Amino acid sequence: MKGALQKKFRRLRGKPWMLKLWSGVKYRYLDIVLSVLAAAFEVTATRVPELREEIARWEEGRTFALGVLPKGPAITLIREEGRIRYLGKGLRFPRVSFLFKNLDAALPVFSGLMGAHHALAQCRILVNGSISDAMELNRAMIAVQTYLFPGFVLKRILKRPPKLGFRQMILKGKVYGALVPALFRLGSGGKN
Amino acid sequence: MLPAYYQFYCPVKILSGENALGNIPFEMTLLGRSSAMVVTDRGVVEAGLVARLESAFADSDCRIGFIFDEVPPDSSNRIVNKLAALFREKGCDCFIAVGGGSAIDTAKGANIVISQESEDLLELQGADRITADMKPMIVVPTTAGTGSEVTRVAVIFNEEKNVKMSFVSDKLYPRVAVLDPAMTQTMPPRITAATGMDALTHAMEAFISIQKNPLSDIFACRTVDFVRRYLIRATENGKDREARLGMANAALFAGIAFSNSMVGVIHALAHATGAVSHVPHGAANALLLPWGLEYNLDVSERAIAELSCHLGGTREFLDLREQAGLTISLVRNLLDRLNRVSGLPTRLRDAGVREDKLPDIAGTAINDGALLYNPKEVSFEDALGILRKAY
Repeated sequence: MKGALQKKFRRLRGKPWMLKLWSGVKYRYLDIVLSVLAAAFEVTATRVPELREEIARWEEGRTFALGVLPKGPAITLIREEGRIRYLGKGLRFPRVSFLFKNLDAALPVFSGLMGAHHALAQCRILVNGSISDAMELNRAMIAVQTYLFPGFVLKRILKRPPKLGFRQMILKGKVYGALVPALFRLGSGGKN
Repeated sequence: MLPAYYQFYCPVKILSGENALGNIPFEMTLLGRSSAMVVTDRGVVEAGLVARLESAFADSDCRIGFIFDEVPPDSSNRIVNKLAALFREKGCDCFIAVGGGSAIDTAKGANIVISQESEDLLELQGADRITADMKPMIVVPTTAGTGSEVTRVAVIFNEEKNVKMSFVSDKLYPRVAVLDPAMTQTMPPRITAATGMDALTHAMEAFISIQKNPLSDIFACRTVDFVRRYLIRATENGKDREARLGMANAALFAGIAFSNSMVGVIHALAHATGAVSHVPHGAANALLLPWGLEYNLDVSERAIAELSCHLGGTREFLDLREQAGLTISLVRNLLDRLNRVSGLPTRLRDAGVREDKLPDIAGTAINDGALLYNPKEVSFEDALGILRKAY
């Protein structure tokens, strides 16, 4: 029974319409995850001390983007008045960007199955812009992920998963709490 | 262990051996080129190495269009633009870079300006942003360490913005690398030792990097074999042609290895030590190597242990941790021997680094891209800890 089902699924998977549908699903999924990440950047940048400290060193107006090539979803953000603000979807002339080569390359990273460093090691990501800026963005991303993902995911995706104390766990809860309204605001096109 | 996915690429034709230099005009003919722009520095010209190259063109239809010998120790955008303008003006159709990393990177930089027709090199920074085909480039290294003759990287200093620009692209691979022992035999013992340790660091870091793959491992291991066999010999007796050729090959193998699997914390710290305290790159790598290996020991025990037999250690009766410890102690022995033979520093303080500069070095190092490929996370405190130990 199981074998027959698998056979049917395999046959379906090869159909052109199925490939198109699956690709559309992946695009939508990544688009949503990137929007969540954009909201998480905005929220954590105002609440998490490690991230505040990191972006305090960035110059005003620095833009950065995360996205998928060749025409996949992307988000651009900017550092403004000591905070991170979501500029919108697409690549809006970012100073530094992390771009995945294709949807499949991005999927495990944005599903919490693979760390960004492993994606880089497997040549899934391109880094555009200054390497020094990219390193700073990478540290900011780690801070965001720390407060966005649960511990078991962090163990899988970070080289050295952080041990969060009581205060940091409370902060994590506050970040989750603030994330929902932030998502609604970004979803309705509102700005910070 | 086989990685889930890996890429490996090295399109460089390699000519290695006595009088390999004599084949350059023929290689130019194969590339369909007739007039070369030679890129080098004054030291290389004064050592008579460019004259050797010129003599290779005596009975050839190909010619040297112009010799540009103004390459400074750190390649800059001003020099790169000047070279690009001269290349066009003199009607050259290919580059021959003769020298160390700076000459090679300057030629790569000018090649980007010419081929990409971009006014602003800053726009092309990063990985795989160069799309135009380059003018063919032939590289004749005169040091045995950087491996730039087989890498896809160029680093150019931007004088106006005071930043180092890194360019990474498959288009930056030279077409031909020429390893001729005559071209490295004028290197003084201390530089021979430092550049040799640079090659060893490239290989060892490539072997423990998170991007390591079976092919880069082969090149890394063979580098370690060759360094063990030839580095002391080449440092003690610069006229030992076999040792010189062995080290030139070691540097090339290491270049292939790290170009495909990258480096890690040792290079990040060495780059920063060079930027803050002006310690030569090879010397900084050499003295930081054992401390960097020790830092990575708990996550890369197996890989570090595997290197011990290539450094001349035995494999019997040792557990993994002891075997890895043996590798590190063999590196320290090599460093001590090189110190006795050539005066290569073994501590940061002996290399002229001031203790109060260590936090600056650590702060610079944590923004180095090499850290992304290090097997263990490196924070500012971790970097400072390694530096303090190496001090």
